[in-house]
Amino acid sequence: MEYTRQEIMAVAAARELRDKEVAFIGTGLPMIAAYLAKFTHAPGLTLIFESGIIGAQPRGLAIGVGDFKLVSHCQKATSLYYVLSLLQGGRVDVGFLGAAEVDQYGNINSTSIGDYRRPKVRLPGSGGANDIASLAKRVIIIVAHQRRKFPEQLHYLTTPGFLEGGDSRKRAGLLGGGPSRVITDLAILGFEPVSKRMRLESLHPGVTLEEVREQTGFDLLLPSRIPETEPPTMEQIRLLREKIDPEGEYMAPPEPAGRKSS
Amino acid sequence: MDAGTLKGEKVISLQEAAARVPDGAHLTISGFAHSLAPLALVRELIRQGKGNFELTSMGDCWAADMLAGAGCLKRARLSNYMFEGFGRCPNFSRVVEAGEVEVDDYSHFAITSRWFAAALGLPSMPVRVMLGTDLVRKKPLDKDAIAEAPCPLTGEPLLFVRASRPDFALLHASRADPEGNVQLFGTTSTIEEQARAARRVIVTVEEIVPGEVIREQPEFTLLPAFLVEAVAEAPYGAHPAGMFRYYDYDHDHVAQYVRAGKSAEMFRQYLEEYVFRLPDQYAYLNKIGIHRLMALRADPWRGY
Repeated sequence: MEYTRQEIMAVAAARELRDKEVAFIGTGLPMIAAYLAKFTHAPGLTLIFESGIIGAQPRGLAIGVGDFKLVSHCQKATSLYYVLSLLQGGRVDVGFLGAAEVDQYGNINSTSIGDYRRPKVRLPGSGGANDIASLAKRVIIIVAHQRRKFPEQLHYLTTPGFLEGGDSRKRAGLLGGGPSRVITDLAILGFEPVSKRMRLESLHPGVTLEEVREQTGFDLLLPSRIPETEPPTMEQIRLLREKIDPEGEYMAPPEPAGRKSS
Repeated sequence: MDAGTLKGEKVISLQEAAARVPDGAHLTISGFAHSLAPLALVRELIRQGKGNFELTSMGDCWAADMLAGAGCLKRARLSNYMFEGFGRCPNFSRVVEAGEVEVDDYSHFAITSRWFAAALGLPSMPVRVMLGTDLVRKKPLDKDAIAEAPCPLTGEPLLFVRASRPDFALLHASRADPEGNVQLFGTTSTIEEQARAARRVIVTVEEIVPGEVIREQPEFTLLPAFLVEAVAEAPYGAHPAGMFRYYDYDHDHVAQYVRAGKSAEMFRQYLEEYVFRLPDQYAYLNKIGIHRLMALRADPWRGY
């Protein structure tokens, strides 16, 4: 079955979530992946959004974490401070974030490009991302694989991954376990356990190592044998296209001619 | 104001509410994405020519962006300003990139903890966020507002954030009674923390209702009257943002606003059309039009 690279990215991200986990979800593709997980292998997943929403039902596609669609018929509508305090209390298994820039230690920039005081581009800022990545037991990052999004050096370190690598994250006093996976439209990336440098875990079907290297601004560690990412099932693709994002707001459906992406 | 508004000691007009806020005040304003924003009051502040404000913010993207676009903002400490589904805040991003507004960044939990410390009457609060990042290292405004220090009891590394007491909390909620009890349906963002931290609290509401209506469902009361200096009735007061159980955000108007915000000149025209040429919130609502306002009304079952 044909599928796009965005679709396999969403599917690979959804597979990182386990049933009955408590997951803190960021705006955009993390929502799509979380919905897919809930509709398939993880119906008991509890979705929390920083705006103060606990146990949201994946009904309509929300434009962001404050969307009333997520409030409607959720388990608990509460305050931002309350849900973020659940993170610091150690109650959240997994945080799920997007990123503007991510470096080789999984640190994220979502604040600014260029000089901080007089930026070339002012981005939205941390929001809850720093809190989620500081405190969730593990973090999954989902980001389009483009060289400018995987720089050697971040313009601003908003959200902690493994900081300078090694045990620097732990020494800084951060409680959570840090990023476990970076899911892109080309590959699944992880982190080498000691150095905490980013490592290729698998290539999506049809993607070459050269392509990944071209789109990455730093050297990726490579496993001795590079596996292929498990392709999506027909049911996962059907859910994405028909139930989760029928208007193609987050993921453009395949072009009619069937642009081959795998 | 509307002849139907209930009278009471704390009930004031939007004009009076804006008049109480002096130039240069340190404000904290409610809002999360496209909801809870006291935009009728913000428009009135702009109309009255108020400005030079300092903001301590969590996610009040709408108020911050309008004030930035109107040239009323001097500095902002914030955790996130974003027009969900539409991208960056157009005016705020432009003025920061032009060096016209000073900023200092926090995470949501850290900035809210600054209000919570004030609410608890503490000089500071320890948190376990922001550690190891540029949110700690780059502090052009607030070097003296944060400090890394170990817990005196366990030695664990912590970040202490200083209590923040803004001059005013300007908030928008669902309903209030003439006594000043304020209720809110849906998520409450950081309104409780902002209200308890600020020296003065002014709340605009969708409707002012009799006290017995509030007391029928006291579990929805977010702010008891004694915390609230004044309430002003502002139906559709968050428009173009929305209010859960009242009306959805206005997608088309948000898109129009974001387009206008692309340049200072275009935004000036937007302000002329929607603020300066209109005497008050009712004139604004007439301009938006009854058809649009009716279409935005919440479905009682869904809440939006």
